[in-house]
Amino acid sequence: MAINVLIVDDSGVMRAMILKSLHMSGLPLGDVHQAANGQEGLDALNQHWTDLVIVDINMPVMNGEEMIDRMRQSNETKDIPIVVISTEGSKTRLEKLKQKGAAFIHKPFSPETIRDTIRNVMKLGGDDEGTN
Amino acid sequence: MKEQIKDTLYSVAEEVLEKLAFIFSFPEDERDQIDFDSAVAARVSFIGPFKGTLVMIVSTQALPELTGNMLGLENNEETTTEQQYDAVKELINVICGNLLPSIAGKETVFNVDPPEIVKYTDDVLKPFSAENGKPAEPASVARLDLDEGECDLFLFVDGQLPESAD
Repeated sequence: MAINVLIVDDSGVMRAMILKSLHMSGLPLGDVHQAANGQEGLDALNQHWTDLVIVDINMPVMNGEEMIDRMRQSNETKDIPIVVISTEGSKTRLEKLKQKGAAFIHKPFSPETIRDTIRNVMKLGGDDEGTN
Repeated sequence: MKEQIKDTLYSVAEEVLEKLAFIFSFPEDERDQIDFDSAVAARVSFIGPFKGTLVMIVSTQALPELTGNMLGLENNEETTTEQQYDAVKELINVICGNLLPSIAGKETVFNVDPPEIVKYTDDVLKPFSAENGKPAEPASVARLDLDEGECDLFLFVDGQLPESAD
């Protein structure tokens, strides 16, 4: 199973780092699309089949939390697994994200953390590991 | 308290530079401030249990390696100014995001503004000057030497840090 991923972060450098980590993780990647804020992310979800959304929280135009709320309100996107990658350190805010069904990775992160979190959130076993 | 914050600023900055940019840094508390004419500055403001601004100044000679490492580029691949600015903004964003809960505790909630590049002049720290015209004293300063170049961090706090912030 190839995983089609949408990466949403206002930093091009951070999107590149996440993409590099995904390639290093050994996960079977399909198409990877990118967006610079929550609104662009929702637009991308309307255009591309997506199996996993990786999203930052603090972004201009529409932040990650609002994007997640909009996704959960739509029948088409409400079940897509979400991983939040952010600098957020507040337990209060992290608890709110968990209640929305999102997994959380704290910046700075390692490729192993991304791999393990995605495996967990997508319920992948070791057999799904890719060769790239 | 001030020493604790300084230690925290150093340890967070060193960890983020290493993990995010694969750059080793070394504390150089006694050295002079970075030459303003050959550096890039970024700042990020925050508000929560206390409010303030974190300023990061990086010498331009450090930017190609730092940015290239973050982007995963080969040694001979060049980076654009926009990519270098983006890299500095991401670094200060992550440093600030890790610093605040380390100082104030993980139960606290801070709203952090988007990081911005400060067009570099001699008065880069002017916005933080006190009303009487004298420069504001940073709550903490970290001076780091990198493989190539230097990196300075200034933490400005508006008012007093709460007693519980440790």
